[in-house]
Amino acid sequence: MFEYVVRRLLAFPFILLGMASVIFCLLLLLPGDPARLMAGPGASAQVVESIRQQMGFDQPIPVQFVNYLSNLARGDLGRSFQSRRPVLSEILILYPKTILLALVAELIAVLVGVVLGILAATRHASVNYALMVLSVLSLSLPLFWLALLLQLLFAVDLRLLPPSGYKNGLDIYIILPAITLAIPTAGYLARVTNASLATFLNSDFVRTARGKGLKSRRIIFRHVLPNAVIPIASAAGTDLSRLFAGILIVEAIFGWPGIGKYAYDALSHRDIPALIGAVLFFGASVLLVNLAVDVFYGVVNPRIRYK
Amino acid sequence: MSADGIVSLIKQPAPGAASRATSRAPFWDNVRRNPMLVVSSIAILLLVLVALFADRLAPYDPTAIHMAGQLVDGKVLRPPYPPGAEYWLGTDQLGRDIFSRILYGIRTSLFVGVIVRGGVMIVGIILALVAGQWVGLLRDAILRFTEIMLAFPPLLIAMALTAALGPSLFTVTVALILVGWPDVVRLIYGQVLVTREMDFIKAARSIGASDFRILQRHVLPNIREILIVAFSIGIPGAIMYEAGLSFFGFGIQPPTPSLGSIISDGRGYIAVAPWYPLFPGLALVVMVLAFNFFGEGLLNYNKRPNKLTE
Repeated sequence: MFEYVVRRLLAFPFILLGMASVIFCLLLLLPGDPARLMAGPGASAQVVESIRQQMGFDQPIPVQFVNYLSNLARGDLGRSFQSRRPVLSEILILYPKTILLALVAELIAVLVGVVLGILAATRHASVNYALMVLSVLSLSLPLFWLALLLQLLFAVDLRLLPPSGYKNGLDIYIILPAITLAIPTAGYLARVTNASLATFLNSDFVRTARGKGLKSRRIIFRHVLPNAVIPIASAAGTDLSRLFAGILIVEAIFGWPGIGKYAYDALSHRDIPALIGAVLFFGASVLLVNLAVDVFYGVVNPRIRYK
Repeated sequence: MSADGIVSLIKQPAPGAASRATSRAPFWDNVRRNPMLVVSSIAILLLVLVALFADRLAPYDPTAIHMAGQLVDGKVLRPPYPPGAEYWLGTDQLGRDIFSRILYGIRTSLFVGVIVRGGVMIVGIILALVAGQWVGLLRDAILRFTEIMLAFPPLLIAMALTAALGPSLFTVTVALILVGWPDVVRLIYGQVLVTREMDFIKAARSIGASDFRILQRHVLPNIREILIVAFSIGIPGAIMYEAGLSFFGFGIQPPTPSLGSIISDGRGYIAVAPWYPLFPGLALVVMVLAFNFFGEGLLNYNKRPNKLTE
């Protein structure tokens, strides 16, 4: 087990390196002059030339690549074109806000999803069917439209919650973006819970438990759920990467000042260093979550390690 | 839907799977047991017809501007007009008919969804077959690259690509194919591995069949069902990504109607004209639902022991 974790951890920096290289190649593939792009339209030739020298675009591509990687290795992501501040320090301020939003959303999704999944697996077949249709529906809602719907309902009509914005972390401002993010994940987890409970409910040990006269509530909570925790938890973990993908949309719409909104603003203003920084942080977060899920899976399920 | 969603869908046991596994019922029996597949097939057929004949079905030109004003109770009403007999689903701030714009938007969505998913499948299948057949450096390179690409936020990368290339129908399609293929590689690669270890493929190899022939004549036909499901299950995701790109202004540009950009334009009017952003979104949901239920139904229909549950 230890060896497995170490091997995965050792591979991690190389995957990050690969990511950085892919971003560099993408930048190279883009048409147009990066210095001109950074200077913005209507900049004079002198400004463009000074940016070219400052950023090192006048050097050969391999030299640029090595410079880029060595800067990254030193934690230097460059300076944002808009704010002129170092990208890394800007992102480090925003990143906890994104993590907070993601965790609150994931918490809501796990609670709602698991409860609905248990209901679907244990109640009448019609309840099961209705809940599974609801689950497909929740996975079919475009996030940006769902966000508008919730804004219309809770902010415009009912005037219960602020439509957008941010105030010291855990405030009422987090409710709408977190619910928007949680709805598809809750639907997905309800499915997974339902499916894994259904497989265990047909197993021999449940029949034995029924046979010795245990109440069905006790069978569910003492015998079935502990077994189903592994698939549910790993589904919740892998789904965090989907949640991260949705965070860009939700932060941009609700004005939540995390790295999703930072990335969106950077993109709108062609702020390339800021964009690269945000993409790297997003990617590294997803990789870390995947790693954590795999390690968790290896710990709780020894069979996986031999594959 | 993400790859995790797809994988989990494929792994899940289908309701009624056990009963069908014991006796192979005729086609119509299967259809009767799988109303989800029938209803969603009809819905998709209708949507395709709408997309094909949008120009005949639309009561108005989707770009025609109607600013003259409506007379309601002796008062002149300015656009956006509410839904009514004249404009079934209301109009936008320029008096353009929302219903007609939605019909054309469905055309755009379906077109992009099918083309993107088709492109993604082709790229993904080729890479998965190559990685599955030729073990070695090439396989490792493909798998590592796939893993890296999977970690990137797809919408953000697609937005950056269309921003750099200039947003249009063509660049949106290309960008979505470029960010979409890793999902398919992950999905198909495992199936290729399982298939190429089967006895009949070993037999084919032992009588000297070439790699290409094995892939084309034996591996591909054996994963055909999975490919069809993967294709249809991925279409709603492509439709949503197109709508997302257009919503943020990095997608299909006016005057081509796209549901995402109509919703985006309507955002500012949500308090005074809720129909304006809501109805296009509803059309989007109906389309995505139809494909999701279709994929679901297809999975249940195809469900046989030791096939998709592998």
